Amino acid sequence: MLFLRRSLPLIIAFAVGMIGILVYYIPHSGAQALEQELTTWYRIVAAFALLLGIYSLMRLHWNRVQRQQSGWGYSFLVFVGFVLMSIFATYNDGQGPLNPQVIDSGPFVWMFKYVQVPADATMFSILAFFIASAAYRTFRARTPEAAILLVSAIIVMIGRVPIGEAIYHALPEIAQWMMDVPNLAAKRGILLGVSLGAVATALRIIFGIERSYLGGGE
Amino acid sequence: MKEFLINIDRRIIFIFVALGIIIPSLAALRLPIHITEDVKAIYDTIEEVGAKNGTILISFDYGPGSLPEVQPMAIAVLRHSFRKNVKVVGMSHWVDAVGLAQEAFEITSKEFGAQYGEDYTYLGYKTGGGSLVINMGNDFHNAFQKDQQGNNTTELPVTKNINGLADFDYVLCLAAGNTPDGIWIPFGQERYKFKFGLGCTAVMAPDQYPYLQSGQMNGMMGGLAGAAEYETLIETSGKATAGMGAQSVVHLIIIAFIILGNVMYFLYGRQKGGGQ
Repeated sequence: MLFLRRSLPLIIAFAVGMIGILVYYIPHSGAQALEQELTTWYRIVAAFALLLGIYSLMRLHWNRVQRQQSGWGYSFLVFVGFVLMSIFATYNDGQGPLNPQVIDSGPFVWMFKYVQVPADATMFSILAFFIASAAYRTFRARTPEAAILLVSAIIVMIGRVPIGEAIYHALPEIAQWMMDVPNLAAKRGILLGVSLGAVATALRIIFGIERSYLGGGE
Repeated sequence: MKEFLINIDRRIIFIFVALGIIIPSLAALRLPIHITEDVKAIYDTIEEVGAKNGTILISFDYGPGSLPEVQPMAIAVLRHSFRKNVKVVGMSHWVDAVGLAQEAFEITSKEFGAQYGEDYTYLGYKTGGGSLVINMGNDFHNAFQKDQQGNNTTELPVTKNINGLADFDYVLCLAAGNTPDGIWIPFGQERYKFKFGLGCTAVMAPDQYPYLQSGQMNGMMGGLAGAAEYETLIETSGKATAGMGAQSVVHLIIIAFIILGNVMYFLYGRQKGGGQ
């Protein structure tokens, strides 16, 4: 049992990880065919992960509804949305589930256009209001570093919109320089650090040093 | 008055932001738009592809939340492509991009009389991310055997000669997440060496500059401003250009509040030990 729970996943992770790395460096048709096969398998596994995600989401909200936790009505709406959209997708505007999805009419398209799109867009548009309020309250030049950040942010904010050029003709160029030079330098440093960290983590998983993905604990 | 200015009620800030959006939008405030080299590079590439009647791939990787920023880019690039007889293949790494991509194709194909299958096709959504891109790079028809409408990609005129990603004259990712730097560049552009461009939300744009400098992407449209620049280049005003007035005013409002907050902090806040 321990072999199935511990050793086998470690062997699979090592084998797949090493093959994944090696085929990248082997310019041979056999290696490429193997890579094609592996990536196809990965996509199939990813599709099943989608089912797991749906199960996990439904279980979470079902528990909330059962226990009538605060806001359980919203959890109930998750089920309403999920069931309705599943029915509408299967109905497919009268064409049935085996035909290509109808893209210009039917209840599925209507729900997407007139429920999901406005609801999602509204959620994000609210951010503009909260950002304005948060910027007023927290964006203070308390230290020299914060002052530099503040001045840079103001220049980029104003230089990236058309009114910036109307205020001072060189503002767009100054904003662009800030993005091209100091921003790029900082981002590249962060990116290299993150990438090296990712390589280290991948190697730890492949060689079985990092085992938290096996879950469960002892 | 002093107390009021030190701690302005957030509802007052909300009213200013709302008016800053509503008034310029109703007044149709238009300002001259400055074209950046990064946006011009995408425009020039589409022109080059059009000159040889080539084919581009557009990856629609965004959802309704980022629709106001990214959808105008999609519409502007499709308008430009169809006007220049560039063939377009669309696909998505994001499932909720499907409806938005179809809408963009529907609007623009009608304007220019572009024919489905001949001038463009939409392949739909597939899982896999990086693996899907590797599959597309090695064997395009195997990765997408059928398009969204169930047609074989080996038979569609727009895709039948595409064997791998390197056969596309340009790949453009329209994104609101990690698909450009997490999927397209490491698994696609770096391996198959195709020309790659990006349209993304404003908040993503600063992260992409290292890839621009390295040449892994040749151009970038960042946020609504980037979309407005593209609309200006193709001389077809759209939602992005219309939104520039409101965005300019709201930026000024936010800056005014930041300055006010700092003035009050330096005058009174520090004496109170923080000015929160």
